[in-house]
Amino acid sequence: MAEIVVTGMGAISSIGLTIAENRHSLEHEISGIRKARHFKSHYSDSLVFGEIDQSDEELLLELGLEKGLGYTRTTLIAVKAFREAIQDAQLSPEDLASTRTAFISSSTVGGMCYTDDLYHDANLQGSPSEFVKHYEGSDHALQIVRLYGMKGITDVINTACSSSANAIALGARLLETGKVDRVIAGGSDCLAKFTVNGFNSLRILSEQACKPFDNTREGLSLGEAAAYLVLERKADVTDSKKIHAIFSGFGICNDAFHPSATSDDARGPRLAMELALKRANLNPEDIQYINAHGTGTPNNDLTESFAFSKLFKDVPPFSSTKSYVGHTLAAAGALEAIYSILSIQNREVYPSLRIEEPIPDFPFKPTLKYAPDVTINHVLSNSFGFGGNCTSLIFSACT
Amino acid sequence: MYIKDLYAISPQKTHDLSFENGDWLVFNEFIYKAIEPSYQDIIPASQLRRMGKAVRMGIGVSLPLMGRNPKPDGIIFGTANGGLEDCIKFLNQIVEYNEGTLTPTNFVQSTPNALAGQVALISENMGYNITHVNGSLAFESALLDASLFFDEHGQEEKTILLGAVEEISDYNYNIDHLGKRFKQELVSNEDLLYSNTPGSYCGEGSTQFFLSNNPEKSLAKFSALKQSSCLSKNEIGDFVLSFLAEQNMNPEDVDCLLLGKNGDSLTDSWYDELAKPFGDKPTVYFKKSVGEYRTVSAFASYLAVQLLNGKAHHLIENGAAAEPRTILIYNHFDAVRHSLILIQK
Amino acid sequence: MTTNREELIVEFKEHLIKYLNLLDLTPADIKNDEVLFGGDLGLDSIDSVELIVLLDREYGIKIKNPTEGRQILVDVNTIVDYIVANRTK
Repeated sequence: MAEIVVTGMGAISSIGLTIAENRHSLEHEISGIRKARHFKSHYSDSLVFGEIDQSDEELLLELGLEKGLGYTRTTLIAVKAFREAIQDAQLSPEDLASTRTAFISSSTVGGMCYTDDLYHDANLQGSPSEFVKHYEGSDHALQIVRLYGMKGITDVINTACSSSANAIALGARLLETGKVDRVIAGGSDCLAKFTVNGFNSLRILSEQACKPFDNTREGLSLGEAAAYLVLERKADVTDSKKIHAIFSGFGICNDAFHPSATSDDARGPRLAMELALKRANLNPEDIQYINAHGTGTPNNDLTESFAFSKLFKDVPPFSSTKSYVGHTLAAAGALEAIYSILSIQNREVYPSLRIEEPIPDFPFKPTLKYAPDVTINHVLSNSFGFGGNCTSLIFSACT
Repeated sequence: MYIKDLYAISPQKTHDLSFENGDWLVFNEFIYKAIEPSYQDIIPASQLRRMGKAVRMGIGVSLPLMGRNPKPDGIIFGTANGGLEDCIKFLNQIVEYNEGTLTPTNFVQSTPNALAGQVALISENMGYNITHVNGSLAFESALLDASLFFDEHGQEEKTILLGAVEEISDYNYNIDHLGKRFKQELVSNEDLLYSNTPGSYCGEGSTQFFLSNNPEKSLAKFSALKQSSCLSKNEIGDFVLSFLAEQNMNPEDVDCLLLGKNGDSLTDSWYDELAKPFGDKPTVYFKKSVGEYRTVSAFASYLAVQLLNGKAHHLIENGAAAEPRTILIYNHFDAVRHSLILIQK
Repeated sequence: MTTNREELIVEFKEHLIKYLNLLDLTPADIKNDEVLFGGDLGLDSIDSVELIVLLDREYGIKIKNPTEGRQILVDVNTIVDYIVANRTK
C-alpha cells in the first residue's frame, strides 16, 4: 500500500485562528472554553463554550466574501481553515481545479446553524431567508467547491462526532487506490442552538468547563472549529520538507450497542484501535501518545479508559485536548489529528486540563501538565460518535 | 461490485414488486409519497415507536434484505438530509419552548447517521459503517466508498449493504418550495416532461443493494461512476465521452439511457446535451415514476438492475431495448452536481 | 387539575404513552408497580430523559439531576407519589 503523508494543515478553533495560534495555546495550557461572546442562546450566560473569537462579519471581511450570498458560519470557518491548509501545502489554483484532486469534508450541523432562519423558512413564516438554499449538510463543501472551481471528487461525511476522522480515512483510501493524486480532508461545525439544545436534552452538557477523565466530570462542553489536512502519496512529494507526518493507519467500526452511548465493555472503541494498529502494522507498545476522544461525559471517559486498560499492557501518555476547545463535533477528528501531528513535530504532549482527581478505577492517569522533549513516533487519535461510529487514526513521525 | 440483491420502498409499488412487473401508478399530486409497507412484522415495536420516516423506511428495506443475505462486512448509506422531520420537530421545540426542557428523541433520530447506526444496532453488526451526506451526490459517494472497500479487499470475498434514503416532510417541502425547486401548478407524472415550467415534484424513498465482490449469481454490476460539482453546459459532452473512454467504451456500447429529466424547464436541457452523442437511444425517464429527491440516483440504479433482468421494460421510451446489457444513468440536481453511473449485466 | 389519585394515574399513563410513543399500549396495559426500566416495557436511558420532560411540561416538576431521577422514575406508583408531592401545576 502506498505511504500517505500530510503536506498541509489548517485549523481555526477557540484557541486560535491559525495552526500557529492553536499550537501556542496548547503549549501554554490556554483553554478556549469560556462565556460566549458571539453565540446567542438561552444558554449563553449559563453555559461555557469553545467559541471562535470572530464574528460572522469579521470572518466575511477577512475572507473577502460578500454578505448576503448564503455563507453560513459553518462555511466561513471551513473556508478559513481550508485556505490555510492549501496554502501550507502550496497547492496551485490548477491543482485545486484538477479532477485528480478530491475534497472530503464533514459536518453535523452543516447549513442548519442559524436555527431561527431555518425555523421561519421551514414553517413558511415571511419571505425566504438568504440561507433557504443552504441548509444541507453538504452546503459548506459545495460553497468551497464553487469558490475554488473544484471539478474532482467531493464528499461530505456525517458519522456524528467521528465524521472528520472518517473523512481523513476516506481521503487516504482514495490515494491508496490511485483514484486521485491529492486530497483535502477535514470538517467544520459551528456552535448552533440546534446542537446545544440537542446535547442539553440528552443531559450531557457540563455547566462548568468540561474536565475529561476527572472523577467528578459532569459532561461535555461544546465548541466550534474547522480543520483540514492535505494528504498526498509520499512517492509524489518532491520536496520532503513539506511533509508534516505520515498517516499510517485507521480503524473504523460500529459499537452496535446504543444510539447515544458506548458499550460497557467498549468493544467498538477497542476494535477501532486494534484495526488501526493492524493497518499501520504496529503493536500497542509502539504508541507513545493517545489523543483520546475524551468528551468529559461520565460514559465516554469511563469506557474509553476501560478500552485502554484492555488494549495496552502499559497505557502510554494520553489526554483529551477537548479540555482546551470543547467538543467540536464533526471537526473534532481532524482538529485532533492536527494536534496529534503538532505533538509529533514539536516533541511535546498536551495535557488534559482541569483534572483535580483522575478516575480512580484505573492504575493509569492522563497527562496533567504540558510535557516537552518527548520523542513521539506514533500517535493514536480516537473519535467516537452517536450511532455507534468508532474511528481511530494513527499518525507517525516522518523517518 | 456485483449486485446480489436489492429492495426499495418508493412512491411506486416496489415494496411488493408489482412496479417492476408493469403496475405503474399515475400521480396528480405535488408530493409523491412513498408507499410504506406494514412495518409490524419487519421492525420490533420497541424500536419502531421512536423512528421517524427516514429511519423507518430505511430499516424497512434493510431488515428484509439482511434477512435473506449473509451478514454484511460493511454498512454504507447515502442521504442528503436524513431524518429532516425529526430535525425540524426538534427545531420547533427549541423555538416554541424557548430552549427549555426538550425531548431528545427527535434530536437523536434527526442525525443522518441514525439509520446506519440503527441497522448496525439491530443486526449487531460491528463492521465498517459510514453515512455520506453529500447532497444530491450522497448515494454516489456511498457507491464510491463501497468500490474502495472492495478494491482494498481484492482477495477475500466481502459483502456490503449499500443504501440511500430521503424523506419528504412538510418542512423540507416548504424549504425547497421557497427555494423554487417545485412546480406551482399541477400536471400528471405522465406529462411531467412536457410541463414547460420551472421546478419539479418532490419524491422520497429508500433503495438498498446487497453487494459482493463475488460475481456468482449476481443480478448486475456497478461498473463505473463519475461525479462533478462544477461543470458548465458545454463541458457535459466531454464529461460523458471521457467517462466512456475511461471504460474503453463508445456511445454505441450503451444499450439504454436512464436520464434524470424532471420537467424543470430551466435545467432539463442539460440532459438533451448529454444525450446528443448517443443519437436515438432507448431511454427511461425515471423521475416520472418517483419524482425528484437528492438520492434518486439510487432508485435509478434499482431500475437499471430490473431492466437488465427483463423487468420494467414498459418504462422504456424512444424505441425498445430487447435485452439491454449496458445501462448508463445520468443525473444532476439544480444543474450543479452531476453524476454518471454505469450498470452492466 | 386532576386531584383524584386513580384519575391521576390514568392521566399520567396517557402522557407516558404519548411521550414515549408506546403506540400499541393502553393505560390498562401498564401496571402501577411494573418497573419502567429494565423490564418488559423495554425503556432505556433516552426514555428516562423523555420522562423528565413529561414531568416538567405536564406537572411543572423540574428534575435536574439524573441520579435524583433514577430514584423517582421506578414505576408508576413512585412517579405519581412524586407528582402529588411536588407538582406546581
